[in-house]
Amino acid sequence: MINIKINKTLHGANGDMNLDVVFDIKEGDFVALSGKSGSGKTTLLRILAGLEESNAVISVGDTIWQDKNTNLAVQKRSIGFAFQDYALFDNMTIEKNLLFVANDKKLAEKLLNITELTELKERYPSRLSGGQKQRVSIARALMKRPKILLLDEPLSALDSTMRTKLQSEILTLHKEFQTTTIMVSHDPSEMYRLANRVIILENGKIINDGSPKKVLLKTKGSQKFSFEGELLEIKKVDVIFIAIVAIGQQLVEIVISQDEVKNLQVGDRVNVSTKAFHPIIN
Amino acid sequence: MNQLQAKVTKIQGTQGLKIVTFHCANTSLKMMSLDLQENIHDKTVVQLTCKPTSIAIAKNFSGELSYANQLNAVILSLELGELLCSIQLQFTTFTLESIITADSASRLRLAVGDEVTALIKASDLSIAKVIS
Repeated sequence: MINIKINKTLHGANGDMNLDVVFDIKEGDFVALSGKSGSGKTTLLRILAGLEESNAVISVGDTIWQDKNTNLAVQKRSIGFAFQDYALFDNMTIEKNLLFVANDKKLAEKLLNITELTELKERYPSRLSGGQKQRVSIARALMKRPKILLLDEPLSALDSTMRTKLQSEILTLHKEFQTTTIMVSHDPSEMYRLANRVIILENGKIINDGSPKKVLLKTKGSQKFSFEGELLEIKKVDVIFIAIVAIGQQLVEIVISQDEVKNLQVGDRVNVSTKAFHPIIN
Repeated sequence: MNQLQAKVTKIQGTQGLKIVTFHCANTSLKMMSLDLQENIHDKTVVQLTCKPTSIAIAKNFSGELSYANQLNAVILSLELGELLCSIQLQFTTFTLESIITADSASRLRLAVGDEVTALIKASDLSIAKVIS
């Protein structure tokens, strides 16, 4: 079991905020950490890694990483870290990037193989695509066989095809190395695919914590098909009305009745929902 | 929005699929649903809803229909458009709106004061909110 208790005042763009979280993670879990920017996600990871000072109490199994009397240095914590911006050593080949962390050729070979980088191992980072760089970064994070793998939005800069491919590689690595993984993500499909637990932070507090389905499925009453949108227009057609609503990047039309129109105004944030029985998937 | 206050009287379920029976005024209603919110149990009072376009109308009907929800109602008013017809119905103390084609409305010769049956499929009925 990994026990985490953090209390730290953060000085953010929107004034001071208290990061105040207490939670346990079962070893081997894959936890997705989500929430608006500025909610404390990255700081939480940095505190776990020992990159940020704090009054935290962190214990991993029988080992205390941090408490009143102890504060293990970054390199003493069994942590692998991969960031959105890769942070590779540009003057080293891919293989050297891995070996720099731990001089274990066999492990490097295995990681390069899983991440399909074996043939590129003599290349320098500047000659790699974004997806390849992130693979190196993740492979490198595992070179010390860390107990905890921290991933800070590792895939958010990649296109969706590359993201899907790397998601499955991350899952393979997570299982193969039996790490506990904590990944910051904003992508519900990514969290659903990878994590067995989702934690949502808001203003430094945990506001939701549970299985991906419980946390991510937007429901309203018995409606399972539910989206937030902005009401753009209401048109009267015959005896009914048609509402145009912007949901994400798309516009949708919804038939509403006179009675429903009364409570709506163009510009309103609205929730559009229907039962799970009606939508058709093509 | 059509609103009906109803009380849960039975929940039948198998692997995430549920059929919920409600008591609403003098009528029994049924709803098809996936997993329910955790706060919905036997005897929970809820507000049910249904789109006006999902309510069909039967008049002088004899025979059997698969509609799980058959509500005896009286026509309060009719608004006949070029293609569609909006009908206000009185069902016990509740007012419901049904939208059907104008052709169907004239075929049934619907008029204010008519006693009709409002028909709602179990999959078209949903819970708008939990009341208590």
